[in-house]
Amino acid sequence: MSALPLQGVRVIDACIYWAGPMATVLLADLGAEVIKIESVQRPDYLRLLGGWPTPDGYEWSAAFNGTNRNKYGITLNLNHPRGREVFKSLVKIGDVVTENFSPRVMENWGLSYDVLKKINPHLIMLSMPGFGTTGPWRNYVTFGPNVEMVSGMPTISGYPGGEPMMTGYIADPIAGLMGAVAVVVALQHRHHTGEGQYIDMSQMEAVTALMGGPIMEYAMNKRMQPRRGNRHPSSAPHGVYRCKGDDQWVTITVSSEEEWKRFCDAVENPSWANESRFNDNASRLENHDDLDRLITEWTSQREKAEVTQVLQRAAVASVPVLNYAEVMNNPHIEERGLFETVNRPVTGTHPYPGFPVKLSETPINIRRPTPTLGQDNEYVLTELLGMNKDEIEKLADDEIIGTSPLGWPYATTDREEAISRLKDIHGKDA
Amino acid sequence: MTEQALSGGRVLDLTHYVAGPYCTKILADYGADVVKVERPGAGDPARSIGPFPGDIVNLESSGLFLYLNTNKKSVTLNLKSASGVAILKELVKGADIVIENFSPRVMPGLGLDYETLKEINPGLVMVSISNFGQTGPYRDYRATDLSIWGFSGILYECGEPDREPLKMGSNVSEYVAGLYGALTSLSALYYRDEGGISQHIDVSIGETLHTMQPSMTLVFCYMEFIRRRAGIHFPWGILPCLDGYVGFFLPTQTHWESLCVLIGMPEIRDKPEYETPLHREERRDEIQGLIVDWLKDKRMEEVFHAAQELRLPLTMVPNPQQLFEMPQHIDRKYFTDIDHPSAGKLTYPGEPFRLSRTPWHAGRAPLLGEHNEEIYCGRLGYSREHLLKLKDEGVV
Repeated sequence: MSALPLQGVRVIDACIYWAGPMATVLLADLGAEVIKIESVQRPDYLRLLGGWPTPDGYEWSAAFNGTNRNKYGITLNLNHPRGREVFKSLVKIGDVVTENFSPRVMENWGLSYDVLKKINPHLIMLSMPGFGTTGPWRNYVTFGPNVEMVSGMPTISGYPGGEPMMTGYIADPIAGLMGAVAVVVALQHRHHTGEGQYIDMSQMEAVTALMGGPIMEYAMNKRMQPRRGNRHPSSAPHGVYRCKGDDQWVTITVSSEEEWKRFCDAVENPSWANESRFNDNASRLENHDDLDRLITEWTSQREKAEVTQVLQRAAVASVPVLNYAEVMNNPHIEERGLFETVNRPVTGTHPYPGFPVKLSETPINIRRPTPTLGQDNEYVLTELLGMNKDEIEKLADDEIIGTSPLGWPYATTDREEAISRLKDIHGKDA
Repeated sequence: MTEQALSGGRVLDLTHYVAGPYCTKILADYGADVVKVERPGAGDPARSIGPFPGDIVNLESSGLFLYLNTNKKSVTLNLKSASGVAILKELVKGADIVIENFSPRVMPGLGLDYETLKEINPGLVMVSISNFGQTGPYRDYRATDLSIWGFSGILYECGEPDREPLKMGSNVSEYVAGLYGALTSLSALYYRDEGGISQHIDVSIGETLHTMQPSMTLVFCYMEFIRRRAGIHFPWGILPCLDGYVGFFLPTQTHWESLCVLIGMPEIRDKPEYETPLHREERRDEIQGLIVDWLKDKRMEEVFHAAQELRLPLTMVPNPQQLFEMPQHIDRKYFTDIDHPSAGKLTYPGEPFRLSRTPWHAGRAPLLGEHNEEIYCGRLGYSREHLLKLKDEGVV
């Protein structure tokens, strides 16, 4: 009996960047054997985007390293006919093929579902390009942030009376999560009937599905949800409040009259708590600005942890706003074990985020760190495809496989200098 | 009806609001038999949230409920009564998956913890969705979508630098948790059916939301810094045009050069003051001004197509009305009309992914207790009189 839910499912994974690899990392976490295909001509773009301007900088992309755990990594130049042959050999022994290229790419390579199905009749194939595989925009260019923009999320997000805002980079992982769900739905059908099938997923459609409320508001009443910052349409107080210290915040959200009374008790019933203009929800909504100012007077004198404790003790929803360092050190997160310490070639030992759901009989862990470029070429080509040394050498000579990116531009930059430059542009010390 | 991917799968759905129901919606839409258990009288609290047609409150016409509960069957059951709990246990017998999203104390408090249910039905997969999970110091903390955003680390990075961080306008955290519920429940079912055993799945909304960012904790581990809130500045942009907004992210040199062509200023491509990304970041307000000027009299769609001709990752940023009008959605028939006895015919977001052999089904949400007879009499074998008695007693 296998120890992981999807053990025995083999995924031939041509996904790149973030959305596609997010889908396949979840499958890998759940036990699938995910064979991730990059090439030395074109390593996964996320290695470059998050990478460092140093000789081994393509192994230092945090985004890449956090999104490709539990996978096997090979290189295969799919622009070369022999590379495509090897790909087809993998498809033959695989269960699922995943890709998020622009639809023309797999077609031009002769690797569309129609072709691959002949090689493997039970194949499940997931194509998850930005706009889907059909329609007038099928060949258009998107990055993840574009998908978020075109889903409409920014027009309902923003400070009250303000312009549309990007509030997170979440379209990619949402699309990835939806892609993983699509695969396990197809696996159910295949389990019962033996039939594989083709899955056409538009990242834009997946993300738009999460806008249920605002879309129904328009569908029903032709009305558009206004941008209201952190406020709630029907309960107050509801917001993010400043606490003691530099850029320290806490969320406080009150959802019922009973909770409001408990809140007032918890903040020791200052005179304003009993004013009629805050007496019921409707009045509080109307006087939200004043209410926020008064609450801030209370919170700004306290650390966010204290505010949280005092309010939660009174059964009021208040949770600190954590930065990423604080998330890692948060006592709840620590006990839940979301981060696992992993040792990885090149980058060394660090805590890495793992799968965020607990399964009681088949616990999910980080079994292997994100692979280095072409790390598992030997395993896949010899163990899985039965190739001999000569065949593999020929592939390497023709640069169809390899472990070093061709034309990586940063042969000479110093790591410390690179870090210091990145810090200047983007951040501050924690 | 053509067989669907999840046909034959039986789900007992104890969820309410958004997170749990979105999970079971996915299962129902792709063919699982989902029996939704609601409180007699008020039903799922989402029925009271709206929006409502014409703003007239109607428990059968809440937009949020209608969207999140398509294709499900509804029974009413009072879990606060001993008879109600006993009836639930009978329903559990016939289920492959039970899904609930109460706070962690509730199910054990009702005598419906996993160990008990497993004894009734050893093959049962149980999914529990809660704010922070079934264990840990925050287990019993109260939280809403905004609280979860703060906890996840993501909120801190969003918004303008000199004011409070800003949350997304939809309650995305709950949908994300629902998706993880669907992913893991189906994986656990697959495992069970391939010879494994059943299990309890613990979904923490806070932890699942945390995974919706590009491993920023690793950025901290590798480089020891925390990114500041930066608002939106070039090379990002969401900028107004004649009839709406366009959005873009143009970080590379190639993007810059194509952008200059797009806005009819190819000559500024090589100006020394715009030479490198760093130069352009320093002059971002200036550059943004040039783009805003150019956009003033242009329509979203024309800008979108012109940019895409130049392979620029730029798109329209539609409001909900404009969403319905987008040619890509119209061509792919993404928005779907579904009729409903109370709310009438409305247009809903449609299939999030398309399976070539096993279709998605556009069915409506149930009326409260609509399937009491079908389930209690048809499946559990109660007589009509017995059902009436249970109704009188407030159990159903």
